[in-house]
Amino acid sequence: MTATETAKLLAALVDTLLPGDTGWPTGATVGVQAPLAARLVQERGEDALDRLVAALGDDAAALLNGDEAARVAALTAWEARDQDLFGFVRDAAYMAYYENPVIVQAINEHGHPYRLVPHVAGYKLARFDLARDTPRHGRGAWIRTEAVQRVAVETLHLDDERTQNWGRKQ
Amino acid sequence: MSTTPADVLIIGAGATGALAALVLARAGLDVVCLEQGGWVEAGDHPHYSSDWSWQRKTRWNADVNKRHHVDDYAVRTDASHVLMWNGVGGSTNVYGAIWPRYRPSDFRKGDEHGLQPNWPISYEDLAPYYDRSDRLIGTSGLSGDPGMPPRPPSPTGPLPFTDAARVLAGAFDTLGWHWWPAEAAVISEDYDGRPACNGCGVCSGCARGSMSKYSLSIWPKALAAGARLRIQARVLRVEKGRDGRATGAVFRDRVTGAMEFQPARIVILAGNGVGTPRLLLASDNLANSSDQVGRNLLHHTLTACEFWVDRKIDGHMGYVASMISREFAETDIARGFVNGFQFNCLTSTSSAGEIAAGWLADVKAPWGRGHHAWFERRFGHNLGLFAIGDDLPNPENRVSLDPEQRDEEGAPVARLHYRPGENDRRMMAFQLDRLVDVAKAAGAYDYRLQDYLDENGVYRTPAWHMIGTCRMGGDPETSVVNKWHQSWDVPNLFIVDGSALATGGVVNPTSTISALALRAAEHIRDNFRELSATTRPRAA
Ligand SMILES: Cc1cc2nc3c(=O)[nH]c(=O)nc-3n(C[C@H](O)[C@H](O)[C@H](O)COP(=O)(O)OP(=O)(O)OC[C@H]3O[C@@H](n4cnc5c(N)ncnc54)[C@H](O)[C@@H]3O)c2cc1C
Repeated sequence: MTATETAKLLAALVDTLLPGDTGWPTGATVGVQAPLAARLVQERGEDALDRLVAALGDDAAALLNGDEAARVAALTAWEARDQDLFGFVRDAAYMAYYENPVIVQAINEHGHPYRLVPHVAGYKLARFDLARDTPRHGRGAWIRTEAVQRVAVETLHLDDERTQNWGRKQ
Repeated sequence: MSTTPADVLIIGAGATGALAALVLARAGLDVVCLEQGGWVEAGDHPHYSSDWSWQRKTRWNADVNKRHHVDDYAVRTDASHVLMWNGVGGSTNVYGAIWPRYRPSDFRKGDEHGLQPNWPISYEDLAPYYDRSDRLIGTSGLSGDPGMPPRPPSPTGPLPFTDAARVLAGAFDTLGWHWWPAEAAVISEDYDGRPACNGCGVCSGCARGSMSKYSLSIWPKALAAGARLRIQARVLRVEKGRDGRATGAVFRDRVTGAMEFQPARIVILAGNGVGTPRLLLASDNLANSSDQVGRNLLHHTLTACEFWVDRKIDGHMGYVASMISREFAETDIARGFVNGFQFNCLTSTSSAGEIAAGWLADVKAPWGRGHHAWFERRFGHNLGLFAIGDDLPNPENRVSLDPEQRDEEGAPVARLHYRPGENDRRMMAFQLDRLVDVAKAAGAYDYRLQDYLDENGVYRTPAWHMIGTCRMGGDPETSVVNKWHQSWDVPNLFIVDGSALATGGVVNPTSTISALALRAAEHIRDNFRELSATTRPRAA
């Protein structure tokens, strides 16, 4: 693939991921493809772009030349067969998009006081107001050192390794 | 080679190394500190770049195995993510500075159930040091919490109570559960020459020093008092003399490549819960007659929930933690496990990119046409909270040395193994249910849980707490140091970092780690003459 085609491919890729909407410029309009390429190379090695093109395989042509439906189909197919690289590209593109000053402006236009580099000036927040913000619920307890008592730990049968399947996949 | 022994050699310039250097240099002692990394300047932080969120995924990642920084040493892990920073200020360069204290029962788990040891000290022994270290470090908070022993006010008042905090407080009120504004090693007013928090919310360390980064809050005072800090000095072994006392440490100057020896009368290890056991094991198993060095690694039980509410709360603004809940902090065996946990309620991520690319529960925005509508619905409506609890010690959860692999210095590579036990798993299952209760009580229109289990069921916690690996105790058979952090085996060797904690409590540990380091350093100061000659540990 020539350099011109690679550039076009990356632009099509980010525009398919981030196609824009009312008040939201598309990914390529704000240049997401440039930091994306740099991040690919930095994190995945110098030949990362070549590997990206290779990973896209036949889907690259659809991304380059197809209409939106064809581009979406191409990305869907790539996502299904290469979750690792696709996931990296998607996340890096998202991050680059929201780190763009124009997109920060778009966030502001949607009513949020968001800053590109918030550390410099911070956000204006009302000080803690002791009269208003101090909890009045009166809840809470603690056990004094000398009042700590033995619990019947043997009733828990902690030697049985029974909680193997826990968490979200419970 | 330096031939004049320092009064005190400190290994590691992180949180506890800084405090020890301050106390001992102010006492007029000749203090040398060796630190393998360098200074982390404000400009090294990502905070002043527009791609700061990307940087905290990459070069500013707290995970040593993701950022590949030249100052790091190799740590192989089969489960936990190894989070720390190696440089002046240590892990406070990247930490979040949530600052709750242990509670009295945390020190008495031996009495309570016997699956953990009692500490050789009590909450009451430590309480005055909490107050004093808070004043040195610069903290904020609200006193009067009915869920904790009474304490004096924090040096600065509580941080702003944000809309995110209000939503969470409402949820806890609905449930009838305890909550309290978060305590933080972050100043809400200008303090000690540092500026008040400006609510930027980045909180992966703090370049301006409103969050107490010890290279800004403690080290300048220690240096002014005469402590000598040598950076790029990686200690490879601590040496012991015929009399059983430590004689000093061999280190490599990472700039010149030269091997040097720094002799000292007293040696203090402050390399953190991984670095310190690694060094002792690499020093011919020094101070390890108990075989406890490196064992009983604790990270805390940890689960999390991310949820979204209809109300616009713009949780990207303000300090990362909003409030805590100690509702489940004490043991109640009716829950099916011992020990308790705390909720650390956050605000949200400060990064719009992380809302889209995944934050606490790794929920990602869809790509394509639905992306922008999804973002509009989620950004400014997002909240998160952790449940963090007291995990039980297991000698097989440990830091050890790889028998074959060596790093570029020729030192054995550290290995880390951690697997939660039955009690921990039961607690985390319970935590996840309670996290759902909070999300529902907050009126969340969507919530997602984070159990830190990978696709193979391996618990891969972000291990920002490295504790227990050289624990203190009252018995030389089952502990590495006594109640003064003094090695049972090597009488002029002290371990003041997080590895000395006997149990993890239900909270982030660094307020406790700092209070303990201050106490140990004052003990060394007050007993220096005797300690610099003795060949026996002073007291159990
Ligand atoms: C991402 C993250 C978030 C965190 N958030 C919180 C929080 O919100 N609240 C809280 O309480 N705690 C938090 N922590 C934990 C907190 O940072 C640590 O508990 C604290 O820094 C431990 O202090 P320490 O002195 O034991 O070790 P460290 O601060 O890690 O310092 C150890 C130092 O020793 C040096 N060292 C090690 N080995 C050698 C050697 N051989 N030669 C020379 N130097 C050596 C290291 O380079 C390092 O600088 C967090 C940690 C991380 C990583």
